[in-house]
Amino acid sequence: MALEEGRGGLRASDADREQAVEVLKAAFVQDWLAKAEFEAHVGRALASRTYAELAAVTAGIAAPLSTVQPPDAPSPMREQRTRRKISQAELAKSLGVSRQTVILIENGRYLPSLPLAFTIARFFGLTVDDMFGKEPARPRISARSRSAAHSMSRSVKH
Amino acid sequence: MMTFIRPRLRKPLRNALAGTVFAAAWALRGGNAWQLAIVAEVTVLVSAITIYVRAGEDNDEGALAGSRADERQKLLSLRSRALGWNLATVAAFIGLSIAVAVKATWWWPFLVILAVAAFGYLLGL
Repeated sequence: MALEEGRGGLRASDADREQAVEVLKAAFVQDWLAKAEFEAHVGRALASRTYAELAAVTAGIAAPLSTVQPPDAPSPMREQRTRRKISQAELAKSLGVSRQTVILIENGRYLPSLPLAFTIARFFGLTVDDMFGKEPARPRISARSRSAAHSMSRSVKH
Repeated sequence: MMTFIRPRLRKPLRNALAGTVFAAAWALRGGNAWQLAIVAEVTVLVSAITIYVRAGEDNDEGALAGSRADERQKLLSLRSRALGWNLATVAAFIGLSIAVAVKATWWWPFLVILAVAAFGYLLGL
């Protein structure tokens, strides 16, 4: 749910209505909403005066795409380790670090030093960039879908 | 010399050695202080055994006690020691201020602690 609950009676601003429209656009390009539904929802969002009304419009729709992450996306290190069927303890022993450090690196709670990053990358036969350089994948929206949603929401506004 | 000793034994032995020096200081004091020397030695031996046992645990504290810490655990230890020194210098500063205010003669140990901390800091830069 994109809009916060608990302040339902308060009046919503234009920025809040825009935010709700963005959520609806994201839902439309993901095919969570049909065209007719999308148009109706955008119309209702733009006409909403309170947070409660906005919340009702976006009810049942997940968070905006910018915050959507693929479910349980494993870290590259965990992915490589499980693919090779190596336990955390075995990997720790091979890398010369503790099991706790391997766990923290896999959970993204510890960024290794450059020498250790190189050791890890070499161990898996990959580059440091492959192991630690990339951000987690996010769902992509094509420019075409984005512009279609944008023009559709504009046509609903006017 | 330490490299010849098993990693798990290094910290317990270091502590035992330091504690024995302290116990010897009590013994050299003369009089009834030898009783305190025994208490100090027993305490130090118990502490050394505790460190040895903890060194066998599979966690960060165990790795540090067993002298087998990796880079993250060393960083953790460094931060912890830095915090310890920061608190010690704050305490020394407070002690020095109080000693000066009450015109005490025991102000100089606080100054020594602050001077050593400052020297150590400059040395580490």
